[in-house]
Amino acid sequence: MSGRTFAEDLSARAKSHREHTALITPEGPHTYGELDSQATRLAETLFELGVRRGDRVAMVLPNGFSAAIAIYGVLRCGAAFSPVNPTIKRDRLAELLTDLDATSVICDADRRELVDQAAESAGKIPVIDELEGSEDADAADFEAPLEVDLAAVIYTSGSTGEPKGVTLTHRNMTFVADSIIEYLELGPADRILCLLPLSFNYGLYQLLMSIRVGATLVLEPGFAFAGRTIALLGDEKITGLPGVPTVFQTLLSLRGLSDHSFPDLRFITNAGAALPESAVAAIRETFPQASLFLMYGQTEATRIAYLRPELVDAKPTAVGEAIPGTEVWIEDDEGHELGPGETGELMVRGAHVMQGYWNDPEGSADRLRPGRWPWERVVRTNDLFRLDEDRHLHFVSRRDDVIKSRGEKVAPREIEEILCLAVGVREAAVVGIPDRLLGEAVVAHVSLDPGTQLDAGALRRLCAEKLEDYKVPRRIDVHSELPKNSNGKIDRRALVTEAETDAP
Amino acid sequence: MIPQETTVRAEMRAFIEDNFLYMHPDVELADDEDLLTRGLVDSLGFVELVEEVQGRYAVEVQDVEITEQNFGSIDAIVAYVERKRG
Repeated sequence: MSGRTFAEDLSARAKSHREHTALITPEGPHTYGELDSQATRLAETLFELGVRRGDRVAMVLPNGFSAAIAIYGVLRCGAAFSPVNPTIKRDRLAELLTDLDATSVICDADRRELVDQAAESAGKIPVIDELEGSEDADAADFEAPLEVDLAAVIYTSGSTGEPKGVTLTHRNMTFVADSIIEYLELGPADRILCLLPLSFNYGLYQLLMSIRVGATLVLEPGFAFAGRTIALLGDEKITGLPGVPTVFQTLLSLRGLSDHSFPDLRFITNAGAALPESAVAAIRETFPQASLFLMYGQTEATRIAYLRPELVDAKPTAVGEAIPGTEVWIEDDEGHELGPGETGELMVRGAHVMQGYWNDPEGSADRLRPGRWPWERVVRTNDLFRLDEDRHLHFVSRRDDVIKSRGEKVAPREIEEILCLAVGVREAAVVGIPDRLLGEAVVAHVSLDPGTQLDAGALRRLCAEKLEDYKVPRRIDVHSELPKNSNGKIDRRALVTEAETDAP
Repeated sequence: MIPQETTVRAEMRAFIEDNFLYMHPDVELADDEDLLTRGLVDSLGFVELVEEVQGRYAVEVQDVEITEQNFGSIDAIVAYVERKRG
């Protein structure tokens, strides 16, 4: 039985199935009872620090038991959580904490120094890094949130590079979780392998849905060692494998994968970016008994569309139809609905549509449009799609120049601004180049002031100091001049074409 | 010609320094240090590392061999290559 909020889900499961395994991390298994007690204990600590219903608590944690405690602890005390990529750098974090007006930050010991510095410059925000403790917390009287209260602020890259905080209520989040649970047919017997960061909403929902249905989540710190992933699929009798194209392309490139069988693996999901047709075929061949769900979403509505797995062989490039309980359609620039065969912007309607961007009424008004009712708003996705004759969705392209690398959004402008900080860089242009493993690889092109010497290594290092790992360019090319179009603007298309022909 | 253990060690260190360590100029990497937990090599980095080992030493790396025990540190890689080459 699902609760009105995710915190209620955990309490209920801890009562009915206290000894059932909620999480398995590299350190070992953790029961529902254990997660519940630790979350309550953290909620107590937060409450003592003054965190109340509606306050925002940021978390800067790698995947692990602590991250799960943090999410449920924050929710239990009635506050909203904001999961931050654990490779964030100090200045970015300070900006984010200021924007969020965070009441507290949760991190681990490894990140304590960086988080302390950021929290100090953002206004002396209290930092917590001790999450697991032995003593059981007293049952405190937390002010339980209503479904309409803020549950999370999830930051995503906007096209300008300014991070935008997507605001979601409890209702937004439980609604979309239930819709996904319905089409994946998730249940307590499921054992889901999560290699995706919980700071990424596709990873986050693996945890939230798993706890909601009383399943077991095998939570890995990442996807570093493919041999370990293969071993886990068998040893942990994994029933569900969510991934992005980078994960599947890496697995499919391994020698010996086809010698294994994975009889327990019931479903595989792909989101974050489209899988090439060849990869869809290879997944079907390697995991013949698993249903493959091709999906599409964005943080602004979490999950938007999915293709029913029985159609995947016939339509390997489609992302199907609206998720249960929602509607989608395609519009032209004037707002007229388009029919099959025509290309237009994808629009989304349903209880999963975000409430807007945190502290950004202009950005919110740009993406949220009036809906059918006076109180309703629909979200425009900024992505172009077309419908086929069965009204199934096919992704065409993005409207902006945002790059999708490893399934995550990267705004070229954010990286260009960093590169231009380097003395001697005259111009910088960052583009996405098709890449088998990454989907798109972030590639930077710079031109230098006459007489300057700068090597690509130094520029990459500068990016690594300022940006999250996935945003650091894989390659930086130094040019004497960047190509220009007839308007005198940097010709990005030429840079993409040039890189494609250079590729080994 | 089968490379000596010391050659593999030097070559792997050079590869890691050229490809990953230049991003961390302040890091002095010991041969037994964990490349992942120190944040020096990420998941895609390990893909590159495995490809380098396959290409340079003509060993066939099986999927299940891509583990921390075999690729987690310079020591681990050296031992793995030695073992594979018999």
